[in-house]
Amino acid sequence: MGIQEQYRTDAANLLDSGAVKLVIGYGEGSTPERRRPIFIRSAEEVGRLVLDANCIANLSAYLVPEGLLSDGKSVAVFLKPDGIRSVNILAAEAQLNPEQVVILGFNIDAGLANPLPGRKANEFAPLLASLKSAGLSTDLQREADRLEQMTAVERFEYWKEQFSKCIKCYACRQVCPMCYCRRCIVDVNQPQWVNTSSHTLGNFEWNIIRAYHLAGRCVACGGCDRACPVNIPLRLLNHRMSKEALDTFDHFAGESADQKPVLATFRQDDPETFIL
Amino acid sequence: MTETFEPKIVAFVCTYCTYAGADLAGTSRMKYASNVRMVRLPCTGRISPMFILKALQKGADGVLVSGCHPGDCHFAQGNYHARRRWTVFRSLLAFTGIPEERIKFSWISAAEGAKFAELINSITDEIRALGPFEQYQELQKVIETQSTY
Ligand code: SF4
Ligand code: SF4
Repeated sequence: MGIQEQYRTDAANLLDSGAVKLVIGYGEGSTPERRRPIFIRSAEEVGRLVLDANCIANLSAYLVPEGLLSDGKSVAVFLKPDGIRSVNILAAEAQLNPEQVVILGFNIDAGLANPLPGRKANEFAPLLASLKSAGLSTDLQREADRLEQMTAVERFEYWKEQFSKCIKCYACRQVCPMCYCRRCIVDVNQPQWVNTSSHTLGNFEWNIIRAYHLAGRCVACGGCDRACPVNIPLRLLNHRMSKEALDTFDHFAGESADQKPVLATFRQDDPETFIL
Repeated sequence: MTETFEPKIVAFVCTYCTYAGADLAGTSRMKYASNVRMVRLPCTGRISPMFILKALQKGADGVLVSGCHPGDCHFAQGNYHARRRWTVFRSLLAFTGIPEERIKFSWISAAEGAKFAELINSITDEIRALGPFEQYQELQKVIETQSTY
């Protein structure tokens, strides 16, 4: 039995037994290679679930809307390792109870979706530990190195050009599981921290703040990068922040549900090389 | 006409240490560059990175963030939290091309009036040598001169 059949059966069993009230998974999208999130509430509908290498979106973002988990019932969700990491972060930040999240885990390897054993986030700890030791993307690091070899003036010009394209659609924010604030700092207008219209200065501020607020929280699912309609390389900013968290504070986002958020904790002997 | 450029520097300081240190510099009649505008806050833990961006947005050429030495925080932990945020935020600014030389961080205690005066002088010299932060300020000018925004 292929993984798609297997997970359809699992989903049907979970729903039938009342173990979960809802399954969040992937269905056919608007083109053959696209998948869209679907929400299945009864075992009769599981035939709509699709699972293959095109299922790349991080569905954990659908767990946080207010009220979904407040009745104490469980929800099953299809997640890749990045999604499992974001469930851990959401749990660590008290946005959900990981006991209510049943994970239908899979990873994509060589164009195929493969099942990952485990049902609750904590059962994936060894997998996440191995991801941490494997390190961050070397491709992104190469690109980040290229930028860091530039002078500050050149780097500013590079980002100025990139950010000048931003239309402040906030798709990058909407898609991110960790951008759950009811009131985002860019929507605050007393005081108005960030210029709201999409001129380059406001875009600069917005993109800096978005990346900063995801420092040590981004799980590199790539959702923001794919969502950006003007192709700003948001992955580079995210990567640079993840690298800082990992190198300086040994923090790999979403390793476990009781991991302290990197910027909400400290060690007395944290390194300080730049403070005069 | 050649006037020497005088940088605008905004200093975000905590009231218990660096502000008191600046006070000491003043009452001890130490002279320091008048380029610095101080903004006093209860703790370095209250100094949001937004403040730094706001200062740049309003035309600062340099920013200083300063508070109590580790272990001396009036609220016990504020500066430890601040230090982590600075570490991350600073690397982000550098990565986006906002020069590290313009954004400074320091620990200055209430007893270090002399350190305060010296630091302000040296930062002012350094930023004067760098010149105005035109790359950033130009972005603001675009907004002010284009009524469509
Ligand atoms: S910042 Fe982007 S890549 Fe990181 S978790 Fe959010 S959507 Fe995914
Ligand atoms: S998705 Fe892209 S264009 Fe939209 S707000 Fe984010 S960075 Fe700007």
